[in-house]
Amino acid sequence: MTVADANAEIDVSRLEELADVILPAAHGMPSASEVNSIAAYLDQVLDWRGDLRQPLARAVAALEPSLFTVDRLSSLHQDDEDAYVALTTAVAACYYLSPVVREQIGYPGQVAKTYDPYSYTEWVAEGLLDPVMERGPIWREAPE
Amino acid sequence: MTYRADVLVIGAGASGGVAARHLAEHGFDVVCLEQGDWPDRSAFPGTRPDWELAIRRDWAMSPNVRNRPEDYPVVHDDSDIEPLMYNAVGGSMIIYAGTWPRMLPSDFRVRTLDGVADDWPIAYQDLVPYYDAIDRQIGVSGLAGDPAYPPHDDYPLPPLPLGVAGRRVAEGHNRLGWHWWPEPNAILSAPYDGRRPCVQRGVCTSGCAEGAKASTDLTHWPKATAAGARLITGARVSRITLGPQGLATGAVWLDRAGVEHHQEADVVILAANAVGTARLLLLSADDRHCPDGLANSSGLVGRRLMMHPFSVVTGWWDDQVEGWQGHFGASITSYQFYETDPSRDFVRGAKWALSPVGGPLNHILPMRAGNEVWGADHHELMGRTFGRGASWAIFGEDLPEESNRVELDPDRADSHGIPAPRVSYRISDHSRRLMAFQEERAAESLTASGCQETAVASMIPYSGWHLMGTARMGENPANSVVNSRQQTHDVPNLYIADASVFVTSSGVNPTCTITALALRTADLLVQRRSEQKVPA
Repeated sequence: MTVADANAEIDVSRLEELADVILPAAHGMPSASEVNSIAAYLDQVLDWRGDLRQPLARAVAALEPSLFTVDRLSSLHQDDEDAYVALTTAVAACYYLSPVVREQIGYPGQVAKTYDPYSYTEWVAEGLLDPVMERGPIWREAPE
Repeated sequence: MTYRADVLVIGAGASGGVAARHLAEHGFDVVCLEQGDWPDRSAFPGTRPDWELAIRRDWAMSPNVRNRPEDYPVVHDDSDIEPLMYNAVGGSMIIYAGTWPRMLPSDFRVRTLDGVADDWPIAYQDLVPYYDAIDRQIGVSGLAGDPAYPPHDDYPLPPLPLGVAGRRVAEGHNRLGWHWWPEPNAILSAPYDGRRPCVQRGVCTSGCAEGAKASTDLTHWPKATAAGARLITGARVSRITLGPQGLATGAVWLDRAGVEHHQEADVVILAANAVGTARLLLLSADDRHCPDGLANSSGLVGRRLMMHPFSVVTGWWDDQVEGWQGHFGASITSYQFYETDPSRDFVRGAKWALSPVGGPLNHILPMRAGNEVWGADHHELMGRTFGRGASWAIFGEDLPEESNRVELDPDRADSHGIPAPRVSYRISDHSRRLMAFQEERAAESLTASGCQETAVASMIPYSGWHLMGTARMGENPANSVVNSRQQTHDVPNLYIADASVFVTSSGVNPTCTITALALRTADLLVQRRSEQKVPA
């Protein structure tokens, strides 16, 4: 399976294998493929960030999945920084768009919250600022 | 017949918006030329799940990365800090954090007090009435009585929430005996002037869709245009024109289609930021009158660029504090190490502002503190730190040096073919000592606040939000570009309203002072209208 455009073709199967090395199942978190992150979100990520397509295709072509380890990323970083950035950004962006992953890390997204703007009177009354006030002014006098 | 305005303002950002509104409300016929467009709040990415991708490209703070038609490239190959800006009505306020500190009395007298750089020709007290007025225009949320400042009027709105992290660090500073205070922010904590309050989404620096964060497209331009000001967007100025009497006669500008126009005016106000204003003055060189650039008899146009070295110290607790949430902006601030202490190996100091850390992508593809970690360890790191941190954002005072400068690049140009600015800038050894000290203290602060681990991102290159100093203020035309009214010494009907005029940088975010100075300049123009020289 490939995602194609006029400039670059990305071998998605290869990318999924690479993604599972970059984000494997560990510490109670699923791997990239367990949440189907590349298949589900790559098009969306590349719609938003078309500039990643070419360097991502380069990274996928350059890295042989069966030989790929995380250590190999540092040499990719050295050899082709744009490809490294595209690969790690795309893999991470797809992964953290997954609702399953977001729920597991406790991230609801950037949500709107309401608050009482006058609740500050409580911590003022409780004395939180008292030590600061008791030390007195710390600004430096300057001649006019 | 050519239309001639009383005042032409170039740039519709912070200073341009404030000056235009004040002048229009006092009966001046004002025209403003802005190369960007009105911002479309529905397009701001902060409410979309991809917002952290967007801020790395289409909504980047760097014009070179964003690369929109209204942006101009800024060549910075020879700079330790990358200049950042936004071109639109509202200017860089669209993407600023919204923290709103005033400068301090000592900031205006660094030569007298510390023997470095130069004093300003005005004092803190000269700006106080304008600081107070601009706070009301903007709708600042804060708490009066900060002992780091001389007493001043209360803010119009109560402070924004401290949040869990702000509260913990406040308690940590109380244990250390160090200063902290709720940060004043140009972000509404309650409804004000027809605008809605902040909802703590934490995406201020990619545009505030709620309109709670102040920017002049919300706070000033609607009132300016209601008072008769005319704002032309998509209008890129290529040069200021000079008449036979040595007075500015207006500006040549190009529309989106590249068609050239000339706007005539009695008075011209540059409000294009310290890179854009210097660029325009240099572009306006005239072989006969000003071969080295307009208003540049001192040779200082473009020189003394200051950008505030910026470090981030992040700390992580062992429990959740929803570290992605909250205004950005800052919850609390500290001036504990702001003023000069003779026992240190540097003078002056830095202001700290406590900010959220961001969502998962900002966390693991750090633009701030931290390292990228992949493989199984990635999940361990995320489990240990995500949502558990807060960052001290530290701006150190940047002393002016003539070698730090803006010039015209001989090779690069904007989409209209106008030469791009080239920035040469080096962080000084003095700044490095100052920042190293602050970084160490900030890590101590977070440890004392209960953080289990800390990380320092020292003097981040992608941090040139604060552009200052390229047309400094002073009373001597031999060593300054504008006088204390921000009128250029060389061209009596040409004013500069933006941070180009800063004599020194202070160690605080500059927008509050930029707008106070712009209001003062406009107010003095109103007061001295009958004395103003204008072209025949």
